[in-house]
Amino acid sequence: MIAQEVFYAIWVSLKTSGLAALVASFLAVPAALFLASRDFRGKRLVLLVNQTWMAAPTVVIGLLFYALLSRTGPFGGLGILYTQTAMTVGQIFLILPLIVGFSYTALRQVDRRARTTALTLGASRRQAGLVVLREAKFPLLVAVLAGFARAVSEVGIAMMLGGNIRGETRNITTTIALETAKGEFTTGVVLGAILLALTLGINFAVIVGFRSGD
Amino acid sequence: MTDAVYSLQDVRFAYPRGPSPFSLELDALRLDHGEILALVGPNGAGKTTLLTLLAFLNRPSGGRLIFLGRDPWQDETRALQARRQAVLVTHHPYLFKGTISDNLAFGLEVRDIPEDERPARIGEALDLVELPGWEKRSVSGLSAGQAQRVALARALALRPAVLLLDEPTANIDAGLGLRMEAVLREVSRNTGMTVVFSTHNFSQASRLADDILYLSDGRRVEFGHENCFSGRAETDGRQSWIEPRPGLRVVFPGEVRGRVTCVINPADIRVLPAGRAAEAGNGPNVFAGRVTRMETTEAGLALVRVSGDLTFRVTLPVGELDASGISLSRPVLLKFEPGSVDIAGTRP
Repeated sequence: MIAQEVFYAIWVSLKTSGLAALVASFLAVPAALFLASRDFRGKRLVLLVNQTWMAAPTVVIGLLFYALLSRTGPFGGLGILYTQTAMTVGQIFLILPLIVGFSYTALRQVDRRARTTALTLGASRRQAGLVVLREAKFPLLVAVLAGFARAVSEVGIAMMLGGNIRGETRNITTTIALETAKGEFTTGVVLGAILLALTLGINFAVIVGFRSGD
Repeated sequence: MTDAVYSLQDVRFAYPRGPSPFSLELDALRLDHGEILALVGPNGAGKTTLLTLLAFLNRPSGGRLIFLGRDPWQDETRALQARRQAVLVTHHPYLFKGTISDNLAFGLEVRDIPEDERPARIGEALDLVELPGWEKRSVSGLSAGQAQRVALARALALRPAVLLLDEPTANIDAGLGLRMEAVLREVSRNTGMTVVFSTHNFSQASRLADDILYLSDGRRVEFGHENCFSGRAETDGRQSWIEPRPGLRVVFPGEVRGRVTCVINPADIRVLPAGRAAEAGNGPNVFAGRVTRMETTEAGLALVRVSGDLTFRVTLPVGELDASGISLSRPVLLKFEPGSVDIAGTRP
């Protein structure tokens, strides 16, 4: 296996999963803030559905989106099946409940007085919400990183929606699956180590960067 | 005539999903610029609830609450404007993570106070609470008293029209508490800031406030000048006394001279049927009278007014009242310890 292919697979993994983590965070964190700060009828059901969705196997999500994006599916006209876009979309839906769940727990642990203090000091409701997010920034960061880790390490969605096309949608996990199927266990293990090292590096860089900016 | 700062009419509030059936009902209340009002009453009387209404953190469920001539709850913009003029400092204040300066800067930031003005306002506010130069310290590791002073400085830095304080000196030692009272009085006098504070301390209320609102069970209790007596103090060096009426001594400990106002907490007064005079003993602070009014509250407290030698209001558990056989117009004896007398003010 040539180095260029390995680098490209790494690039595809980082790009699709990084983008998925970013988009999912923008959707999940406000949703978690809403859930954490309001009581409404059906909230427990929403949390239960979210909890269940967290446990959804990647192949099930892959299959669902395959049905939606395939030529005969309702979104077949978009023509994005077997592209990096399809992989990103699938991964967003995979990690969305995870980031919602972790963020919800993080935000519930923020003292309720943080919001009322911000309000009485003259913050608008939006600014008070941002204060709550700021008070929970480290656990929220962990939630986003956990989402990224889940996306970068999954194989089912990448395989079913990306198609494992060399030089196009092949990423680290689908390469590992392929190499293992070919009996190239050593290459699989090396690629696995590369994946872990990358995740470690990203976690370290983000947390250190966040702390220094604090 | 300028608009009142607050004008409340038949204001009601009930916690929508609270575990208790507590509700606050206030017939009328008017507060003007520069006025200091104390809210006094037992735990659960509604003091904090009233403060959250005055801070526009809770919306009344009924009645009229007008702030500076306008209805603050007409829309969110007005509510925000009102919140920016009435700042609440809670009993256990929350400090945002970061430095003391970050905390004091927050309210200035959301008000768009120019950045170059902020350090001076922060420094000034910290000076007032006797924490000069503490800007860069982290809030973690502050004692409860220091946290309360930082929270007070955080509010003072905003120069609000109204400062609302929930037991402002509860975590602060007595000497510093008195100095903080002096600061509040001075700021109020110099800037016309209205102050509303809750306290369990009768003497603090009498010292600091222009008016006292006594709450029990979410309702106003008319208190007037009962339990509050003035006179020229005499002393034997060990204890002192005033004579609100000739021959009737209110005795308190220590050597006090000059003209004194003293207050007796209604919960500290024992009431006994006149037939049990022996129990009252010959000690000081025993007064005779008749029960002229009795009310019971939902919290299981009885409010008893006794008129005779002097007029007192007494609060005691309903069970105790039943057991002692006290009833309306019955002659009774009242007794309280010299140590229960709070000296609210002295003048030479």
